[in-house]
Amino acid sequence: MTDEANGTDEADERLLGALRTVVGAADPVPTEVVEAAKASLTWRSIDAELAELAYDSLLDDGLLVGTRSESSPRSLTFETADVTVEVEVVDMGAHRRLLGQLVPPGPADIQVRHSGGLIRVGADEVGRFTAAGVAPGPVSLRCRVTGAGAAPVETPWVVV
Amino acid sequence: MTEATNAELLDAAAGGDQRAWDALVERFSGLVWSIARAHRLSAADAADVSQTAWLRLVENLGRIRDPERVGAWLATTTRNECLRVIRKSGRQVPTDMEVDDEPPDLDSPPPDRGVLTDERDAALWRAFSSISERCQVLLRLLMADPRPSYEEICAVLGMPQGSIGPTRQRCLDKLRDKAGITSLLGDS
Repeated sequence: MTDEANGTDEADERLLGALRTVVGAADPVPTEVVEAAKASLTWRSIDAELAELAYDSLLDDGLLVGTRSESSPRSLTFETADVTVEVEVVDMGAHRRLLGQLVPPGPADIQVRHSGGLIRVGADEVGRFTAAGVAPGPVSLRCRVTGAGAAPVETPWVVV
Repeated sequence: MTEATNAELLDAAAGGDQRAWDALVERFSGLVWSIARAHRLSAADAADVSQTAWLRLVENLGRIRDPERVGAWLATTTRNECLRVIRKSGRQVPTDMEVDDEPPDLDSPPPDRGVLTDERDAALWRAFSSISERCQVLLRLLMADPRPSYEEICAVLGMPQGSIGPTRQRCLDKLRDKAGITSLLGDS
């Protein structure tokens, strides 16, 4: 899909070219951002089922939109055909605390993957779990339900 | 490796090939960063958005329906994350209608880290930073190398394909106006 060559488009292309140079010089991608992106391949998993983000209170227009200073927790719901993972994110300032519930309720091993590394917690006999000290930034949960032969479930990365 | 197609790189990365993944990152990290900054995100927020976009790609390796268009996939994912960040901070989400609006905060443009020694370049950077978010995002997409197709751009921005040309025109004219570029040939 190309534009027809004419004077105006040549001028536009020249300007875009100048912009590209200027913007690239003025605001390049920081090296550490590129390195972090490259390193993210280590989070690749081949055996997990990816859950769907079914609900994010941040995008719920029906809720009163709060500012950062209000302490209403963020609510997330992730779903696969067999499992639902509900998470409440409590802002503790420098860290986040996650309060989770698995449905159907039951024990599970939970790995909280976050920018600080990995936090391992267990969900109790009614499927509740808590994870403290979660770093602000992208988070993904990897849940292995006890006793089930099924693949572990991973939640899509969400910034908390 | 640099001449491999997007599909080839994605396929290899899905098999755990770090070099193929690195090549993908090098190919598109500029575009992802660029889109985040066009939404006026701070460097810290832009870094978070960038990381999330790449992690989303990792979790979807092997699942991308149109691997050659992974650039547009990344751009759309990045934009959605930007809108989340904007909502979180209580800022207004930019809409279709705001091509001609001034950006919400008219304090000084982001510093150019002192590398723009040419005054014309510095003026162009200041002018670019002062046009609307909507225009900045569109122009950053048009500036990207490889350049996304109009079809991909409208997927990212949610604009009808026919309006990209005219909007691009208005945005570039706005930029010329702000930068004091009077010559049609684009020399300031």
